[in-house]
Amino acid sequence: MSATEVVSARPSTLVSLVAFYKLLLRTQITIPRLLGIGGLGALAVLIGLFARFDENSAQAAADAVGGYGLGILVPFATLWLGTSAIGDLVEDKLLVYLSLKPVPRWQLPAAAVLATFTVVVPLTALPLTVAAIVAGAGDVAVAALLAASFAALAYSGLFVAAGIWFRRAVWWGLAFVLIWENVVAYSAHGAARFTVIGWASSLLGLAPDVDVQLEAGSAAAAFVVLPAIAIAGWLAATWRYRRADID
Amino acid sequence: MTSEPRIVAENVSKWFGALVAVSDVSFDVGPGVTALLGPNGAGKSTMFRMLCGLARPSKGAVRVLGRDPRADASVARSIGLVPQQESVFEPLTAREFVTLSARLQGLDDPGAAAASALEKVHLDPSDTRRLPSYSKGMRQRVKVAQALVHDPSVLVLDEPLTGLDPRQRMDMVALFRRLGGEGRCVIVSSHVLDEVERLGSQVLVMSQGRLAAAGDFHELRALMDDRPMRIRVRTDRPRELAGALVEAGTAVGVRLDGDEVLELDTRDARALAHALAPVARERAARLYEVHPLDADLEGVFRYVVQR
Repeated sequence: MSATEVVSARPSTLVSLVAFYKLLLRTQITIPRLLGIGGLGALAVLIGLFARFDENSAQAAADAVGGYGLGILVPFATLWLGTSAIGDLVEDKLLVYLSLKPVPRWQLPAAAVLATFTVVVPLTALPLTVAAIVAGAGDVAVAALLAASFAALAYSGLFVAAGIWFRRAVWWGLAFVLIWENVVAYSAHGAARFTVIGWASSLLGLAPDVDVQLEAGSAAAAFVVLPAIAIAGWLAATWRYRRADID
Repeated sequence: MTSEPRIVAENVSKWFGALVAVSDVSFDVGPGVTALLGPNGAGKSTMFRMLCGLARPSKGAVRVLGRDPRADASVARSIGLVPQQESVFEPLTAREFVTLSARLQGLDDPGAAAASALEKVHLDPSDTRRLPSYSKGMRQRVKVAQALVHDPSVLVLDEPLTGLDPRQRMDMVALFRRLGGEGRCVIVSSHVLDEVERLGSQVLVMSQGRLAAAGDFHELRALMDDRPMRIRVRTDRPRELAGALVEAGTAVGVRLDGDEVLELDTRDARALAHALAPVARERAARLYEVHPLDADLEGVFRYVVQR
């Protein structure tokens, strides 16, 4: 190679995306996180067990998934993992090793969203599905799987973006989950349309013979809105990453 | 500085709010090893981040191989950076870390390239220990390996010798010189004057965000060695000692501070050091303390900047 030559070769999109994705999976999966989120997931299964003894076990299972699952388990687990995906790299000054590469800037945030989603779904959506099955509400189980998975996707986009935009992203995210998702969403008619939990609850409403307290719109719309929120988060993260000075 | 500049900085400034980190710096760097010398906080790391496109200059322009590294991501293929920070990816082994770098650079066989880069810095590619279990010096060498793995034509090394033992330093300096000798542009920052001396002849000096000097190291070293130095001496006979040292020509200025303290200005600190004990013995003066003032690197830079 000539010492003055600018080499224009760069890795294929798949190669670099997979490299980022695998790295972020390894940095995100830590024993404290697995135990913490796994414990919250186990609690969901326990609640499902209690719901089994309810007169209307399907409704009790849907309430548990909607209240505990979509209100607490999914957002908190995604908050913990999503904000740290890139946020930890910024804090530990490791982003420099991934940024001085001939790779488009959109790839790292995309990998972060995918990695967060990959870890969160088995730790949250699966326990909620098991909880519904344990409660004896098989129809609710499918809806719970869909609602939790799509909610995890939307939150992944939002919290990965928060991790790169804010220094104390966990605290901002905590305020968002507690105030916006769990208070504002229930506060006024129509407010649910502006929340992830509202649209995720719409998917939970796919379960037959159950009433869902919070619905933002049709389930068909939720299949579009929740991924759109994830994409918006990814775009916001990419925008910020492109302009940020890397330490 | 050279006829074939690889790195060009034109009136580059960088500020963070009210803090000016780099102020109106211009230089160009060609093939070979160039040292960027300056005390901590001089703006060296900020300058390096701008050279690598990791930070945007607030004013001015940076060109690496004729391109703007901030706007043109393909330049990254030709740059290898050893950042100053010590942090590394904790779950990874050295081989995995360097392989990741090779993969993200688009190399055909990232594993083989990583093994070769690790061997260049005398590390075992088959070591399965994770990076946190490595010593500081070993981690530093891993960082150098990840910067070398894609065979870049421009190497930006921010304090790469930190944490290395003398033997490792010697090996690393030899490696940098070899890479420079192959026609690569190697720019190395340091705040240790003696370290820079071994790296090469071209030097840039930064102080307080400004470029204080640029050129041949030996000229700069002579300038630094010729500067007047101030030595503080505590003795029971300061007047007698001062008179004798001025008479001997080793001190060019004298200031008495109280009954025991003497501050001597000299242009040849070594000659003064040699003369001090015999003269004190002759005058029956007891020496309680001999302390060079303004001998730190900061002082040296201040002198160069003032000139």
